[in-house]
This record gives sequence, structure tokens and C-alpha cells, in this order.
Amino acid sequence: MASDQDLVIETVRDILGSHEPFVLTAERRWDEPLWTALAEAGLTGVGLPEEAGGSGGELADAVAIVRTLAAGAAAVPVAEQLLVAGPALLAAGLDLPAPEQPTTFAIGDAVTVHPVDNGDGPGRFTLSGTVTDVPWAGAASSVAVLVPAPAGMEGSLLALVDVSSLPATDAFNLAGEPRGTLVLDQAAAAGALLTVAQADAVRARYALARAVQLAAALEQVLAWTVQYAGERHQFGRPLGKFQAIQMELAEMAGEVTAVTALTDAAVQAQDRAENVVLAAAAAKVRAGAAVEVVARLAHQVHGAIGFTQEHKLHHLTRRLWSWRDEAGSELVWSRVLASGLLADGPEGFWPALTRVG
Amino acid sequence: MSTSLTLAPAPRSEAAERVRAEVREFLAAELAAGTFTTHVDTWLGGVDPAFSKKLGERGWLGMTWPKKYGGHERSAMERYAVTEELLAAGAPVAAHWIADRQSGPNLLTYGTEKQREEILPRIVAGECYFVIGMSEPDSGSDLASIRTKATRTADGDWLVNGAKVWTSNAHHSHYGIVLVRTSPADSANRHAGMSQLLVDLSLPGITINPIRILDGGHHFNEVVFEDVVVPGDMLLGEEGNGWHQVTAELAFERSGPERFLSTYPLVAEFGRRVAQTGDPAQLAVLGRLSARVLALRQMSLRIAAALDRGELPNIPAALVKDVGTTFEADVIEEIRKVVDVTPSLDSADPLARALAEAQLHQPGFTLRGGTNEILRGIVARGLGLR
Repeated sequence: MASDQDLVIETVRDILGSHEPFVLTAERRWDEPLWTALAEAGLTGVGLPEEAGGSGGELADAVAIVRTLAAGAAAVPVAEQLLVAGPALLAAGLDLPAPEQPTTFAIGDAVTVHPVDNGDGPGRFTLSGTVTDVPWAGAASSVAVLVPAPAGMEGSLLALVDVSSLPATDAFNLAGEPRGTLVLDQAAAAGALLTVAQADAVRARYALARAVQLAAALEQVLAWTVQYAGERHQFGRPLGKFQAIQMELAEMAGEVTAVTALTDAAVQAQDRAENVVLAAAAAKVRAGAAVEVVARLAHQVHGAIGFTQEHKLHHLTRRLWSWRDEAGSELVWSRVLASGLLADGPEGFWPALTRVG
Repeated sequence: MSTSLTLAPAPRSEAAERVRAEVREFLAAELAAGTFTTHVDTWLGGVDPAFSKKLGERGWLGMTWPKKYGGHERSAMERYAVTEELLAAGAPVAAHWIADRQSGPNLLTYGTEKQREEILPRIVAGECYFVIGMSEPDSGSDLASIRTKATRTADGDWLVNGAKVWTSNAHHSHYGIVLVRTSPADSANRHAGMSQLLVDLSLPGITINPIRILDGGHHFNEVVFEDVVVPGDMLLGEEGNGWHQVTAELAFERSGPERFLSTYPLVAEFGRRVAQTGDPAQLAVLGRLSARVLALRQMSLRIAAALDRGELPNIPAALVKDVGTTFEADVIEEIRKVVDVTPSLDSADPLARALAEAQLHQPGFTLRGGTNEILRGIVARGLGLR
């Protein structure tokens, strides 16, 4: 069943394994050699149809790539390109940039839009305003940006902006991943108008992408912690032989299993195009909630070495603490989820829960 | 992660969704007719034989069992949908719960043909109820230390002496599956020498004494066996195989939706309150609780799918129960943080009543069926630590 994905995962692991672990700094904002290797292997177009310039394959394949890279703390905009920008542009009927050109995704609520022609389908627009929290700003060559529709129109606009020559501010998340600001000044862009529901579905893709990354990183942190507890000896035996440590690791495993089960279900919902917003909302909320437990206990079990940059743990725990608040925090998505479940009134709450998954 | 903890995603089951709709319709009609009222933790406290018989008539008990014993040969996924709907509605399901969940499956695996033919059709009809005879006054988490003893008589019967505790609804039930020592304890192999007996609770020498829980409810009992003669053909499975058989029951006992939905009626009541107030803080809490329910559903559904594949996933079941029972207890504090309601069993406010019921039942959630500490020990074994 998963043989194609196993092959994809193996390929990504091989490429990751041949690269030095990447330490992000203000000067080294992304792992360009890794991106090039992934692009040359066709992995930056997976899940996007060949006729649109992609490499073909299923959503599940793209998710497998994103998971493997997230677990490896890879500093490349693959989640943004394969799970958000690519499919959102495609669904909006816009042309995709070449898959070897890194394309990111951002939400620009403060951007104003003017149509250049008067088409109401895909058309040309100019965008002006500030877009903050742009993942991989300064590294990505284009950004698919979700902005308010032109004045007097309902909904949103999804636009593809070439940002290869735009400077990005120095802003980074807790893991050092670029999250800078771009200032658009009459930037020309291809764009497509989206209904409110279509725009919500795009935001849900973004949340699901981060949930998928969180799930993979949580699993990896658990695996590292179990391994460390087996290797580190105190009082003459491995840490993992102490009941107190076993209880902590079991609690972590419970959280990780819950996140994986719900994220898998949200990916399936996305694949079937059913209840995508509520399923993604739930996955993002549950994954974000697990971070507190898993990161805290992972550091507790690792002791002081895990609190230093000499040990690998921080590559993932700092990402966990960042990703849980990106693409909408648990607060934002929990309200979306509850409002959606109550849409048919309180008596419809349980039926809605069972429909979501 | 260790493969012993992970299970494949559950496939979607259209049949389960069909039966779910039927159960929902039935429950709406019963609620409208006033034959039951919604309560928290009804799989412990809601004994209603008439209701159990109605479920039996509709084919919702013994759903997965062979037709030759009255069962319906439906999937574990369909059974999951039925049990989940009953719990979400807070329906009175306690009478038949244990028999349908684990005693019947235990009989199917280990029972003799005579035992199955006599008992299973009555469980399917909602007329025959079971208790679990595991814990004892001096044996809780350390189940292998039980002392209830069964010795062979000259006639080939079993002479049983000892006591079992926390036996839910023994005063309404017909049989117990009782774990007994049939050989003296062996310190070199603590799990050897135990057997399961199928015990008719009306036999002479059995005394059932009530033990009241925090809200005053009588669900628990102490069941005392004084020179009880259990017929020789009421051994369940193999003599000496009791520990293994008990372990096999646990995948059924630990993985179902009752391990996270005991307080769902409180969540539903809170949902009604949030729909009235529209309060953003309450909305966020409802969303967080919902995400946890949704994750637990996926975990529990994966186990139902594994049961349909013929697996007995004991370690994932322990994990689901740990996460699930933690959740059903957390519900109370999460809701308390955002509502100003004083819990009371006799309040006119349904939210205050649900909070009160949940609070007074809460300590049991993370104890019954294996404490969360025991469960985490099992999960740690699944992680390769033990």
C-alpha cells in the first residue's frame, strides 16, 4: 500500500543523510544545496500534476516528503510549496512557478489590490502593502499571497508575486527560520478571486501543512528521547529503566499517537475534499497542544545537554514551539473548529463531530 | 516510533454510518418519549434492563458475533458506531455493557460449545448481564497477587473461596467471569496457576455487598465466595491459562469509546451554553476539547479496524485508554475555567448537574480497567523500555 511513499521517504532520507545538519543564522537563511538536491530529484514538484509542471504523485506522497524533511529539521520551503502554495494556486486556476523555484505562502491582510484588467477570473493585479511573517522570506523567489479582494468585492484574492528582487526584513521564528516582512509597492501579479469558503480552504491548507510538520517533529522528538533514555546511564542503569522516566515517555507517546492519528485523518479529508477546514483546524489545535507536553518532557529527560546547541534536540523543539503558533495558533483554530461544529446549533454538535472524522 | 504502538488508519465504513443513523433516530425517539434521561458515565451508572432489551431487539448487541449464537456478524466498526452513539446520548447501557463488550467475546474465544449456546443468545437479547471478577480487597493493580481460590472436589466441581471487589452491577447481573487461583502461587512464575471460572451469581454461598461511590450511587459491590460449588464444566478455557485469557480481554476492555466519552454529556451541555453566550473564551475551550475528542475517535477507530483484521492490539489499547481517560477527567477543569457554575446534582441548570455528576465520578475514570500508571507501564514496554 505504502510502497511508493516508502520509496519517496527513502530518497528524501538519502538526500538528507548526505547533507550536514544545517544551522540557521541570519546570514544563512536556508539550506540552498539541500533544496537544489531535492529539486534535481524532482521532489519539489511531487503531488502537483505533470501537466502543470509538477512531478505528479499523490497528496500522500507530498505529505511523506514534508514529514521526512520536518523530522530532519530541513531548512527548505518544501511544506509551503508542496502543501500550500502549489495546490492553492492550482485550485485557483493559476499557473505554477517551475518547481525548482522555491515558492512560499503568506497571508497579507494589510495589502490593497487593484485590478489591471477587468477579468473576474484569473487576471492581472497590482498589490501594495506590507506582508508580515512570510515563511522563508529572502529565500523564496515567489510568494503565493492571500489578500483581501479589490475594494467593493467579496472574498479574497490569491496572487502569485515574484519576490526574487525584493528585500526581506530580518525576522526569524524561535528556530531561526526566516519569517520576515515584504513590502509590496505596486507589485504586478497574476491573481484569482476566491470566495470566502475558498479562502478559508487555503488557510486550512496552511494550518494542515504546519500540523503535518508538527506531527513528524513530535514523532522524531519522541524517538530521540526514547533512544537517549536507553543510552544514558545514571545510578548504574539506563534512564529508561526508571519508572518515573517510563511514565514521562509513555505520556509523550500518547500525545504523539493522538496527533498522528488526527493529522492523518485531516490529510485524508483534504484528499477527499470533505470538511477540510474543520479537519485541518482540529489537527492544528491537537498538534499544537501536544507540543507543550512533548517538548517539555523531552527536555526533562535529556537533561542539561538537551538545553544546549551542542545537542540536536533543539533543532526540533525550537521548531515545535514556533510552528504551533504559525498559520494560526490553537486559539484561532479552536474557535474556528467550535464555531463550525456549532453551525447547525447545539443539537448538531455531535453529528458534526462524527462527520469531521 | 515503535511499531507496536502504531496502527494503520481505519478505513471508512459506510455500513457503520448507516447503523449510526439508525441508532440516532432510535435515541431521538426514546428521548422524546421520556424513556431515559441523559446522564454522565451511564456505562457504569445507567442500569435499565428494558432499554438493554430494546437494543437487543434492534440487533445492536453481540453485533460482531457469529449468527449461530444469535449474533449479527457485523464489523467492529459498526459496533463502534453503535456504542459511540449510545454514550454520546448518555443512554442507560450499564446492564449489558460488560457482557456485550468483553464477556461474550471471551466466551467466543475460550468457552465450550455448551457455554456459548446457553449464554450468548441471551446476551444478544439484552437479557443476560455479566460482571468482571478480577480485583480483590488486597489485589488491585497487582492482579497476579489474587488469592481467591478454586479447588477441585471429588465430584470434579470447583470449590471457590475468596472475595472480589469493585464488581460493577453484580446485584443486577447473572454471571461473573472470575479469575481464581487453581494452583498455589509460584514466586518464580507469578502468572501461572490462575484460571477463569464462569460463575452463576445466584449460586449458594455467594454474598453481594454494596459499596457506594462518591455520589451515593450503588454500582460497585464486594462479591464474597464462601464454599461456593461451581460445576466442573464451568471452567472457562484452560486450567492455568487464566492470566493469558484475562490479558486477551483487555483489548476489548480498554479501547472502546467509553474510555473517552464518559463525560461527553457534560461537553454537549457546555456546547449548549457556548451556543447561547457566544463567549470567545468558551468557544476556544470547546474547540480544544473537540480536537481532543476527534483525535481519540481516530485512535479508537484504528483499534476497531484492527479488531476487524483479527488482531488484539493490547498495547495501543492501553495507550488509548490512558489518553482517553485523562481527557474525560480534564473536561471538568477545562469547562470550569470558563463558566461560573456551581456544580450540584439537584440544580435546575443542566450544566450544573452534568458538572456535579462528572466530578463525583471523575476519580474512577483513571482507575477502572487498569490505572493509568499500569497503562503507561504497558506503553513503556511498547516503546522497548521494559
